[in-house]
Amino acid sequence: MHMNDQFDTGMVVLANSGPTSACWSCGEMRAAHFCTSCGKVQPPAPADHFSFFGLPRKLDLDVARLERDFYELSRKLHPDLHGVTDTREQEWSLEQTSKLNDAYRTLKDPIGRTRYLLSLEGVELEEQSKAATEKARSTGQMKQQVVPPDLLEDVFELNMQLEELRVQKKMGEDDPALLEEIGKQKLALEAKQDVLLSELKGYWEEWDSAAEIDDSGRTRVRDKMVDLLNRRNYIRNLVRDVNKVLEM
Amino acid sequence: MSYSDKVIDHYNNPRNVGSMDKGSSEVGTGLVGAPECGDVMKLQIKVNPQTSIIEDAKFKTFGCGSAIASSSLATEWVKGKTVEEALAIKNTEIVKELSLPPVKIHCSVLAEDAIRAAIHDWKKKQETAKPVAVAAQ
Repeated sequence: MHMNDQFDTGMVVLANSGPTSACWSCGEMRAAHFCTSCGKVQPPAPADHFSFFGLPRKLDLDVARLERDFYELSRKLHPDLHGVTDTREQEWSLEQTSKLNDAYRTLKDPIGRTRYLLSLEGVELEEQSKAATEKARSTGQMKQQVVPPDLLEDVFELNMQLEELRVQKKMGEDDPALLEEIGKQKLALEAKQDVLLSELKGYWEEWDSAAEIDDSGRTRVRDKMVDLLNRRNYIRNLVRDVNKVLEM
Repeated sequence: MSYSDKVIDHYNNPRNVGSMDKGSSEVGTGLVGAPECGDVMKLQIKVNPQTSIIEDAKFKTFGCGSAIASSSLATEWVKGKTVEEALAIKNTEIVKELSLPPVKIHCSVLAEDAIRAAIHDWKKKQETAKPVAVAAQ
């Protein structure tokens, strides 16, 4: 299965399961990423971003600590420091570093972290939407839209204004009133984004404790977070579109 | 990713772009959105109250080529159909007609949602409009 029986033991250990296996190099008990005894980088274990950092799957995490761990691991795993005499160790060091970067980038961002955790929970936003449409088709009921109607109205209106501004800009004109109106809406959207983020954070604690309690509480909080992420995503895309037109 | 010829045709020559009077009792309006991509789609139908046949349809979509093509096609398809027939339109038929790739399936879902939402709006108006119409006479 693996290139050499000698290395087998190290491959299957999860990063957060502690030093339960032997270092491929010195035979001492190893830590997740490198051997604490001889300092050799270990082959990457199949781990999600949380367990890569030895963290429980919780949303309300200590970002300062995450950052410290990231910098420390970055230094220790740096490919320049390893594999001078061993090309496998050089490769593992590269792989570990790339996993480290992915994990850090995802977890430090509150939205990215929530999105990632929900994906670990099996939430696929597009699949959900498709399933809801199929349900609406078979029952004849109205599909529950993930985006609330009032937000959709605003989005539609703003898009109409953006279209107008785009046409004006192409013709070399600028309607100051329209510019001001769009600028105002952009500020309102950005404020809404912040509100949605703090609402989302409000559910973190509930999720983190609900994870150990019961399924229905879990589902309820999960759906709330999905809803907030959907709305925020919508607004983020819209702000991006506004900026694009303003920069024309 | 490249668009199919049909998508490009609908994108370059969208059918039935425009809007109708939202307040009219014969008009149903569906406004739907896809958070994955930020698309927003408005589809309106004008229904003959005697025959339940959709006599006209208009749309306005802000989104990618596939979203525009899906809604353009949707307005073509619903025209001349009864509301019940229009409710039977499935997103998979739109996918097939436009040869949409998997990443663009949500555009067809959005178009089906828009048809459904417009019909729902029209039906709701029929239920509430009648007593009002009587009272107005």
